[in-house]
Amino acid sequence: MKKLLTPEELARDDRFERADMMDRIQDPRNGSEAANRGNGRLRPDRADAPDAARALMHGIFVGEIQALEGAGRTCYDFEVGATGKLDDEEVPFELKLDMARQCWDEARHCEISVKLSEWMGTEIGEFGENAFLFQAACNPDPVLRLTGVNRALEGLAIDVFNTMKEFGDLAGDPVLEFCEDWMLADEVTHVKMGSDWLRKLTVNDKDRQKRALEFQRVVDKLFSFGGFRGEDEESPVHLARRFRELAGFDDAEMEEIAELSREAKSEVEERSRLAREANETASA
Amino acid sequence: MADSKKPRAPFAPWDRRELPGAFSVEETAARVGQYKWIEMKLFEALGGWVATVPELDIKMRLGTHCYHHAWHADLWHKRLPELREMNPERLTGPASPEVEAFMDAVAEPGEHDQTIEKLVGVYRVLIPHKVAAYTYHLNNTSTITDAPTIRSLKFALQDEMEDWRDGTLMLTSLIQSDEEVQRAADHQAKLEKLLVAAGGICGPGTIGDAYDLSGDPARLTVA
Repeated sequence: MKKLLTPEELARDDRFERADMMDRIQDPRNGSEAANRGNGRLRPDRADAPDAARALMHGIFVGEIQALEGAGRTCYDFEVGATGKLDDEEVPFELKLDMARQCWDEARHCEISVKLSEWMGTEIGEFGENAFLFQAACNPDPVLRLTGVNRALEGLAIDVFNTMKEFGDLAGDPVLEFCEDWMLADEVTHVKMGSDWLRKLTVNDKDRQKRALEFQRVVDKLFSFGGFRGEDEESPVHLARRFRELAGFDDAEMEEIAELSREAKSEVEERSRLAREANETASA
Repeated sequence: MADSKKPRAPFAPWDRRELPGAFSVEETAARVGQYKWIEMKLFEALGGWVATVPELDIKMRLGTHCYHHAWHADLWHKRLPELREMNPERLTGPASPEVEAFMDAVAEPGEHDQTIEKLVGVYRVLIPHKVAAYTYHLNNTSTITDAPTIRSLKFALQDEMEDWRDGTLMLTSLIQSDEEVQRAADHQAKLEKLLVAAGGICGPGTIGDAYDLSGDPARLTVA
């Protein structure tokens, strides 16, 4: 079996539909307000809430599959090195054990998400899948990969699950709230694993730590989806500060993610403005 | 209530554990190191395969089984220092190059259309042989001096049996034509031949020697 797969190589059955990032974000079933870039927090009283919630749940489901695949590949892609004498391509035995544990957790999250999707009235393949989440799990440096996956991707999962949990509470859906809370507990564990391994593996290599944190910033900005995840009231997914703190994030790191989200939002708005102007010029 | 000062037998009538065992501390450490290596190679392959299997239920199941074998590897890893091996990496390895070749062949199928080969290697060949090796060890080690290994073997065996059943169900559902029956059988035969050449997953003596008429090996170690 080859090492280091690309997102294009992920195996799926015929129900799954690949979609690029823009198609996925601009799917009108995400909620008409979101499609119009007005976004808005996911609330049960929104007319488009059922579609938006189903789309988000489908996104969680495919995200969990990719998280499962990412953790699995980290079990396989790297060799175990002797403690204290690791090459850059090697990992400690205990890191692999953590990744295997994460595999089990993500497999359960897939099971939970597919059942919740049915519960909410959607089915596999109703929405497109973008494989960009797995991209973070393709980094050939295990420290950068762990930082991108366990701190950025799993950090996003904390924010999303907290949002869904709140939505379940507001919507009077105890099943949704119950399941999201359990998954949230696992994600806090996964992010903490990432924080702990980043600290342990770079304790004597500040340059590598700097590169890992830079990679995390890139991934965090990408995962802000142009302001979809942020701290503005109109952001559908909010930073779950309390749970991120449990997972090892300090205030400065959370403020940085909030700032990255604001930057990402401004950039998307600027791109939209330029596109509108170009269209107006072309049609004039 | 009986008089609490009245002497009792140190081993109650229902407790028939005995001292003799077939394995010395060194032999046990060697086997445990081999178990750890096999469990590691297995959980790495299962984790790697998750992304290459299109069947959703199997993808999720492999993720679950991946952890079972990682946990077994950790049990063996932690047992090694208790067996006087303070550098667990030293004994973590295959019993022979032939065993290594077998495990490489188990992990080899990587294409999307090779789910049958992946599952056959694990659930028709490797796990049955692990059950055999663990059971042999369980039934031959000292039930008193080596109780910690016995406890780990029992935990591992419980997982192995349940995973074996899961794997059999998955394979049964996948194999639907004569051609697929043959594919599964061919791959199983290829791997079984490698194991025969290796003498078992721990090399010759993995499950003792059924043709040895000299007596009970467990009795022989206590002169």
